Amino acid sequence: MYKKLAAIAAIATLSTGPALADTLDDVVDRGTLRCGVVLDFPPIGYRDANNEPAGFDVDYCNDLAEALEVEAEVLPVTWAERLPVIVTGRADVVFGATSDSLARARTVGFTIPYAIYYAQGVVNKDSGIESFEDIRGKRVAAAIGTVPEQEWLKIAAEWGEEKNYQGYQSENEVFLAVAQGKADIGITTNTAILPITQQYDSVVAGPRMPWTTDYTSVVGKREDVTWLNYLNLFVTHQVRSGRYDELWGKYVGGDAPELRIPGVMY
Amino acid sequence: MEPTISFFSGFTPNDLLFLGEAALRTLWISVLSITIGTALGVLFGWVLYEGKLAATLTVAPVLDIFRSVPLIIQLVLFYNFAPIVGLNLDPFASGVVILTIYTASLVANVARGGIEAVETPMRRAARSLGMTYWQDLRYVVFPIGGRAVFPAWVGVALGVMKDSALVSVLGYVELLKASQILITRTQEPFLILTIAGAFYFALSYPISRYAASLERKWAQ
Amino acid sequence: MFDYNFHWRPVMKSLPDLLDAAFLTLQVAVLAMVLGIIIGLCLALIRMHMKGPIRWLASCWVELARNTPALFQLFFFGFGLGAFGLHLSPYMIVLAGLTFNCAGYLAENFRGGFNAVPDTQLRASRSLGMTAWQAYTRIVIPQVFRIVYHPITNQMVWAVLMSSLGMLVGFRELSGETQFFASRTFRIFEYFAVTAVIYYVIVKLILIASRLLATRLFRY
Repeated sequence: MYKKLAAIAAIATLSTGPALADTLDDVVDRGTLRCGVVLDFPPIGYRDANNEPAGFDVDYCNDLAEALEVEAEVLPVTWAERLPVIVTGRADVVFGATSDSLARARTVGFTIPYAIYYAQGVVNKDSGIESFEDIRGKRVAAAIGTVPEQEWLKIAAEWGEEKNYQGYQSENEVFLAVAQGKADIGITTNTAILPITQQYDSVVAGPRMPWTTDYTSVVGKREDVTWLNYLNLFVTHQVRSGRYDELWGKYVGGDAPELRIPGVMY
Repeated sequence: MEPTISFFSGFTPNDLLFLGEAALRTLWISVLSITIGTALGVLFGWVLYEGKLAATLTVAPVLDIFRSVPLIIQLVLFYNFAPIVGLNLDPFASGVVILTIYTASLVANVARGGIEAVETPMRRAARSLGMTYWQDLRYVVFPIGGRAVFPAWVGVALGVMKDSALVSVLGYVELLKASQILITRTQEPFLILTIAGAFYFALSYPISRYAASLERKWAQ
Repeated sequence: MFDYNFHWRPVMKSLPDLLDAAFLTLQVAVLAMVLGIIIGLCLALIRMHMKGPIRWLASCWVELARNTPALFQLFFFGFGLGAFGLHLSPYMIVLAGLTFNCAGYLAENFRGGFNAVPDTQLRASRSLGMTAWQAYTRIVIPQVFRIVYHPITNQMVWAVLMSSLGMLVGFRELSGETQFFASRTFRIFEYFAVTAVIYYVIVKLILIASRLLATRLFRY
């Protein structure tokens, strides 16, 4: 009896074994590339006038699909969902302005940086916020599951103002909250400032946030190093071919930031 | 500062079409889930009625779980659980699965109530007239019990139709999600929410009124 | 077996926070129910005894609450009212939304309850020399409460389940807190599984409490 059980257990261990994740083969074989993209982060990811996905990240997804000679399939995700979709295997890759924090790297795999942002506030023009210090006592909004949220909550804890924080499902809800006056300042990234202040009359650019620059990476399954290698190569090729500059100029405007981190090998 | 007085700027007729399509998707996911869910629910209701002890120990607690956990939690859980076991379900499929089970868990109670509403003497009479068990179910229990619980079933169905709005958390673009997308693009929350609300109301109100009037008519 | 590694430790570490949040859930649900019962009772009485615009408003309240999705109602109290410069905190959005919804459903229950108490009782108590107020508070309403006791219990369960929508309007009750933690650790499945269990326990506790209370209140 025990022998039988042991045999069954042995077979079970053998057959399950370490699962060999190879997204690259899967994608080529499937013929579709499933990209998780955050679509409420203009101009990096948004919906155009026809409510179709568009933006810097969407074009990156299309470029990658083209390189792989497969169809691109955009999976709209929220900030909070963008890493779980990788963990559960719902998406092959996420283009979602994801900062490459060490905490996150415990869960997912990151490529070399593909875009650089810094955190900046958008403020309601009646709020009277001009400098970072003015934020004391004001209602602060950010999107759930973002670096701004986490960084802000650290500062808020120091100031004892966690009660004034409002977490929203999406960046756009943050903007709407600021525009309506539900919040005094919304924390977002520099790239969003221009489109947002153009869209809402009641919103103006606010102060820069004191934490460091956001180096953001393309995200893939942590275990799948060959896939991450391919994605690294893709990021380099986008820069070498001039596509990075072109898309940055098209969506954000101005010169594309250099994707190099000074003083250290990456 | 009058940000919302300029009601129609940014909101184009095209967007109305977008909302209309989304409304159809709300309708479609509801009809699908309610239909399958009702069929399953009636089956479970019958099992609960006939199965007594065995069913009370097996089916009943499972159905009870789906009534005691918020639908939104069920949706998020299932949507994230499916890929773990290797099922690659899109938001629509995940939504249909959960809404169907949810409907079934609610309908099961309604159906059992319907069967119980038919008094035993009546069923005995049917059997002594020579009807088989299934004939009894089909020609006696179904029409009489069904009539007794029809209003309750309409309540469940309308509830599921409204609750289908929660599938939006998975990213399925049904009516409420579509209105959210438009709100963020056009910054007209009041107008768009009013349109969305009016649609739900226009769908739900006449049906609930009709069910209520049927109930009154049958009660006489 | 699964291409997924379960991490339960972070969830267990934040369990105290989740339980705190569960109390917030319970608190907002109870508060909404108390307000809902008071307002629902008023709405039912207004619809039965008054005429003109007040009655019309009460009917609007009841029909809107019953025929639109609860999530829609929450959005409305959030960004919908925000369009008019009326800003509710997430707590108030959920409390207002739940109260609005519960009052609408309870009003219909109360109406059914009042209809089930025969008019003759009211007339009999009046002829015994009671004032209208006495007749209502001593004779009619106690009976109505006995009739609607079960629906009220159900509505209480609904209020708890519905409060989970708070996570979509930024309220950190049980679901919101879960989402917050899940978004930090990316362990959506594990967190929501634990939360589902907590909701299940809360619902069961409510049902048990209600049953105990019923045996004390209604000794037949």
